[in-house]
Amino acid sequence: MKRIAIKDLKLFLKDRKTMLITFAIPVALITLFAFAFGGINTGEDDREYTLPITDLDQSEYSKEAILRLDTLKSLKIVEMPLEQARQAVRKGNEDGVLILHKGFADSLRDGGRLPVELQYDQAKEMQIGMLQQSLIPTLSMIPFSTGDVKKSMSRRFDKMMAGSSPKIREEVNTQFDSLFNSVSRGIIPENNANSAFDFGSEIKMTKLVMAKDKSSPNLIQAVAGTAVMMLLFSVAGIGMGLLDEKQEGTLKRLLYSPVNPNKILFGKIISANVISIAQLLIMFVFAGIAFGLDIIRHFPGMLIVILATAYACSAFGVFLASFASTRQQVQGLATLIILVMSAIGGSMIPVFIMPVFMQKLAVISVNYWSIQAFYDVFWRALPITDLTFLSRILILILIGTIMNVVALRMYRKNILRIA
Amino acid sequence: MIHVSNLQKSFGHVQALNGISFNITDGEFYGLLGPNGAGKTTTISILSSILKPDEGEVIISGYNLLKNPVECKNVIGVIPQEIALYNELSALENLMFWGSLYLIPAGTIRKRAIELLQLFGLFERRKDKVKTYSGGMKRRINIAAALLHKPEILFMDEPTVGIDPQSRNLIFEVIEKLHRDGMTIIYTTHYMEEAERFCDRIGIIDNGQIIAQGTLNELKMETSVKEAVVITCELATAGRLNEIISLWKDSKRIDNKAYFYSGKVREDMSKIIQLCNQAGIEILNIEFQKTNLETIFLDLTGKQLRD
Ligand SMILES: Nc1ncnc2c1ncn2[C@@H]1O[C@H](COP(=O)(O)OP(=O)(O)O)[C@@H](O)[C@H]1O
Ligand SMILES: [Mg+2]
Repeated sequence: MKRIAIKDLKLFLKDRKTMLITFAIPVALITLFAFAFGGINTGEDDREYTLPITDLDQSEYSKEAILRLDTLKSLKIVEMPLEQARQAVRKGNEDGVLILHKGFADSLRDGGRLPVELQYDQAKEMQIGMLQQSLIPTLSMIPFSTGDVKKSMSRRFDKMMAGSSPKIREEVNTQFDSLFNSVSRGIIPENNANSAFDFGSEIKMTKLVMAKDKSSPNLIQAVAGTAVMMLLFSVAGIGMGLLDEKQEGTLKRLLYSPVNPNKILFGKIISANVISIAQLLIMFVFAGIAFGLDIIRHFPGMLIVILATAYACSAFGVFLASFASTRQQVQGLATLIILVMSAIGGSMIPVFIMPVFMQKLAVISVNYWSIQAFYDVFWRALPITDLTFLSRILILILIGTIMNVVALRMYRKNILRIA
Repeated sequence: MIHVSNLQKSFGHVQALNGISFNITDGEFYGLLGPNGAGKTTTISILSSILKPDEGEVIISGYNLLKNPVECKNVIGVIPQEIALYNELSALENLMFWGSLYLIPAGTIRKRAIELLQLFGLFERRKDKVKTYSGGMKRRINIAAALLHKPEILFMDEPTVGIDPQSRNLIFEVIEKLHRDGMTIIYTTHYMEEAERFCDRIGIIDNGQIIAQGTLNELKMETSVKEAVVITCELATAGRLNEIISLWKDSKRIDNKAYFYSGKVREDMSKIIQLCNQAGIEILNIEFQKTNLETIFLDLTGKQLRD
């Protein structure tokens, strides 16, 4: 028994390929996922978060506030006109927009509630939540430096008392409130007194993109993410069918016939497309029936994305196969490539919760464009004539075409070489 | 029907074909006989247009293969050595598919497929998936799939290598029938028995060259290997061999063995035995030294056909 074990271990150590699969690939995948989930801290916080701000007040105070926010290390402030910013959110290019409404300066002078609003995409609630937390300390400090001092004093008191029991706090609060009221005829915020402690309410939160039906972002993520990844696996299988045909001799027999060799590849591509379209349709119809994804209302858009995705993915399947001359050569690699692409492209976790550099990396995957296009249709409800949506479709078609062309060349070089 | 001239093909630094030329007439059964690595498969691959030659010309049915591959492919049927069928499809579906590649009306293909299934005794099983077939049955469908478009010319590259005797006999039956029906056939093999049995004409191929070709008789005549009656006698009487050797115009003696060369060994055998008896030679063994493709090949190349 011991000898058998030792022999097995020896064989294992000699087999580099198995070693690679056992050790190197899992390590690589773990690293990738760790990056994707943002679990790795590379020195400082590398997530420089871009926040569009619209300044509707255009006052000295509002500009001052923006400068102040800009000093936050984790934020990159981009000033934008309101409509442009809202459009960016609607199209999924930005998570949300911070709006400093008219009257910002006045409120500051009067010590009133700051008219600050964050309009955002519900799908990005997680990001927005984190953003909110990083904005509030700065925003709530603004009145102290620029606003009404008495009001600021009141707030400072509130803050100081934050740690005490609610009962004491309330007592102190009312006392000071009445004190200030009597002394300075100050304006009491229309909200109840407690709101002063509730920092969240400093920013008005508005969902710019939100669920209108059961199509929650989680559902869309689950369906689109899974669908594209599974599709990649199945088309890789179809593509490799070409290599099987070579191995089994049927490809040779096809070549004996008067059929143009290129048409053998085109035939594969067509069948891969048909199967892909069917697979995607079934997955979405299932999601519609079982989970209430609104495929009826979004049908035209969905169909366009399905066609483009099927085209790009099918091309990817034959593309992979065309680099090898046997299935064994490419099988393991194909699985790895699909897993990696799916991870970085947002099939497993949404791209927008990944660190910024991973988000930039995502664009090299088919998954990214397809999933984003599905979000466009089901979540952002963009019209099919929308340029952002169409550009994603165009990119999918472009990816597919390039891969088909390369696959054709490689196919002639690798697969058609019959010994 | 087929004109092949000066085919050259190299793979890297391996010169697989080095000037192959032959002509085949209508209805002829031409055999390419040669050892492994001689260039048989390479030749067939070029003729079936799945491999481009570096040089040379091939005319099939009046068409230049390099310029009009499609026209050529339409008259050629190739029986792959390995079984090349879709296992998940039925025999009929397989035949229909392979036939459909030849731009023949679907009705015609269907009729032809049924004919072939009947001919090969598989009509009853036509709707079963090929994967449920026995090896021999698959082989029959494998042959049938090459015949749907009624090719004028059939290529077979070592069809009997590594298959069981039963399937081999089946292949023999089929190709004999096809030959009788007037099909032109190119058949490669490294078994001289097969070449002798079927071929009208044989090209002996070695190192990418055809070193001799002709009918079996022509090849026998050309070779310097002669047929002989070989007598082995008791050592004690070996000395007396000299007497009769001097009586036979073409003969030689090596120790207790005497070679009596003859154009017709069977008839001459009794004469030789008689001579031996008269000389009081005690015969231990009598054998024929025949010329066959094996000895011809040995004579031409100094190598065995099979190792
Ligand atoms: N695809 C190939 N790549 C490299 N060498 C090859 C290839 N095909 C054949 N050869 C070489 O060409 C020679 C002839 O091969 P082949 O035609 O297969 O011989 P045969 O069929 O008579 O056994 C051999 O030396 C073989 O090794
Ligand atoms: Mg061969």
